[in-house]
Amino acid sequence: MAPPPLLLCFILVLASFSDTCFAIISFSSLQRTLVVTASHPQRLLKAGEDKITVTWGLNQSFPAGTDSAYKTIKVQLCYAPISQVDRAWRKTHDNLSKDKTCQFKIVKTPYTTTNHTSEWTIERDVPTATYFVRAYALDTQDQQVAYGQNTDAKKTTNLFEIQAITGRHVSLDIASVCFSAFSIVALMGFFFAEKRKGGKAQQ
Amino acid sequence: MSDIEGSPGSSMHGVTGRELTFALSVASPIVPTDTTANFDLPVDSEHKAKVFKLFSFANPHMRTFHLSWISFFTCFVSTFAAAPLVPIIRDNLNLKKQDIGNAGVASVSGSIFSRLVMGAVCDLLGPRYGCAFLIMLSAPTVFSMSFVKDAGGYIAVRFMIGFSLATFVSCQYWMSTMFNSKIIGLVNGTAAGWGNMGGGATQLIMPLVYDIIRRVGATPFTAWRIAFFIPGWLHIIMGILVLTLGQDLPDGNLSSLQKKGNVAKDKFGKVLWYAVTNYRTWVFVLLYGYSMGVELSTDNVIAEYFYDRFNLKLHTAGIIAATFGMANLVARPFGGYASDKAAQLFGMRGRLWVLWILQTAGGAFCIWLGRANSLPIAILAMILFSIGAQAACGATFGIIPFISRRSLGIISGLTGAGGNFGSGLTQLIFFSTSRFSTAAGLTWMGVMIVACTLPVSLVHFPQWGSMFLPPSKDITMSTEEHYYSSEWNEDEKKKGMHSASLKFAENSRSERGKRVASTPTPPNTTPTHV
Repeated sequence: MAPPPLLLCFILVLASFSDTCFAIISFSSLQRTLVVTASHPQRLLKAGEDKITVTWGLNQSFPAGTDSAYKTIKVQLCYAPISQVDRAWRKTHDNLSKDKTCQFKIVKTPYTTTNHTSEWTIERDVPTATYFVRAYALDTQDQQVAYGQNTDAKKTTNLFEIQAITGRHVSLDIASVCFSAFSIVALMGFFFAEKRKGGKAQQ
Repeated sequence: MSDIEGSPGSSMHGVTGRELTFALSVASPIVPTDTTANFDLPVDSEHKAKVFKLFSFANPHMRTFHLSWISFFTCFVSTFAAAPLVPIIRDNLNLKKQDIGNAGVASVSGSIFSRLVMGAVCDLLGPRYGCAFLIMLSAPTVFSMSFVKDAGGYIAVRFMIGFSLATFVSCQYWMSTMFNSKIIGLVNGTAAGWGNMGGGATQLIMPLVYDIIRRVGATPFTAWRIAFFIPGWLHIIMGILVLTLGQDLPDGNLSSLQKKGNVAKDKFGKVLWYAVTNYRTWVFVLLYGYSMGVELSTDNVIAEYFYDRFNLKLHTAGIIAATFGMANLVARPFGGYASDKAAQLFGMRGRLWVLWILQTAGGAFCIWLGRANSLPIAILAMILFSIGAQAACGATFGIIPFISRRSLGIISGLTGAGGNFGSGLTQLIFFSTSRFSTAAGLTWMGVMIVACTLPVSLVHFPQWGSMFLPPSKDITMSTEEHYYSSEWNEDEKKKGMHSASLKFAENSRSERGKRVASTPTPPNTTPTHV
């Protein structure tokens, strides 16, 4: 047996023991105490260019003291159900440590009792999909204790679409063509040069 | 044995069936050394090396070995380069699970055909140009990842890059022109195994390159495209090295390859017929699909699996995935060695049992991998699975030379194609649909491995037996000579075309295991004057 894979295995076993254990937090146990709205141009949004303005605050209809445990607010960009179809890596799990719905952080700031607004330029690594915005209230241990989102419980309203950058560049295309051409030309050059040399030697 | 020019199966001519899958050198009385030759290694009368000196780069033999396996390695790197980057690519190109699975199928399908064509190309142009042509003409396909913008383009490019896996054929062909047939087993096995390691190395290389490019400042959706330039450049570099440093034959002369017209060529139709009508061929085509095939499938899915299931970072998932492919360094030769050891003790029956045990164990560990819920267990299961599957590949080619002497080349080719076909099939069934999660897909693939390995119990050699049946008791049928000369009809036997098969039969008596000494002498091989 090859030693390196076994050694790696051993190290990884040790490393896995260093994880701290948290109690499982389920999404269904969280209260929707925050009111979140997101405003943006009413068209297909472009990653890297367009901005989304997010506003959040405590829903005043809840009794005072509901927010006593809230230390930080984390606002995230989340996938709408239509963008989760056939894509298990974006699946919604009730267990928040396994949940993959919200993969992009918009902003993370300390909690304030007054309403807060933040403007966010859509990052260039955001893929093409349909989204909504969700804000989690975190306690001192960075665990979720409450949430709010700009859409309804079934995630059907106020969704917006973002168009990703292609990742392509003209300079990349040109470099690609140049190297490809070089490969073919070099091959043909060698081949015909050797054929000619072989032909001369035989004469 | 000087029919070098590539009639079907000729690249394996000279394989006597007696060479250990693990022989490092062949001593002088068995194959006489040509003392007039001036090479770094002792050579035989055709100037093929008799010794396999691994850490030498001596021209031409060992240099050819290194050029050849590294070229094959490079093609594995580029064919599976997308796999560890799929978490990024799937977001950039808006891929669904079916698209990712289809691309994986496409990446292994192209080479089914290109391997068949490559045999002919090596015959026409020689293995050096065969290798260089393929590797340099597939460089543009690697670079064209820069242009891809949707699922269709992605699948098409992966399909085209996959053609380059035909360097396997040029690699094995080139080895057989440079190394004596008695050590060709180990040489080819090592070259194939080390080439396959590319599928593991790429899982390390690509995330690393991607990380570096990102740190320099590129966004993810551009960085992965730039990362593909590395395998592209490797193609060009290896192509140039093969052209400048390589040579077709020990004596360096390509044209002599095409001049020896005196050897009676076998008819392609006949050779194909005897390959196709031997049921054992098809059993091994199926089996290789579930040892090599599942290895290729796993190369395509394992990094993404670890990334998603255990929430790892991209390069961590890459490191783990790499250990799967890198086990080829020792696992494949180990399989050949185990096969040889079993043959010494139990003959061919031992080889069949070893193959069944290794491949079934691999399948069992694959089931365990799919069901493992914790990272350490998953890694352990994956490593054991890799050893089982890759050792089974090595053990398979310990048996293949004995299925047929006449059609050995085609059977090897069909088996290789079966590997790719099995890979495409498993990816299509288990990893291209949202019906199963990837974990369930791995579990079911393990079940399919165990099921598809059972047919090895059907492989019966009248002269040696099978897993459960002893050899035939009939005096004529239980001889190696009868088995191997049954591939020739009376006319051909009259012309003496079967003489090499008879020699092979005699050498293959070692496959009786410990019973060799006690075999009855068959009536028609005893000379009339004793």
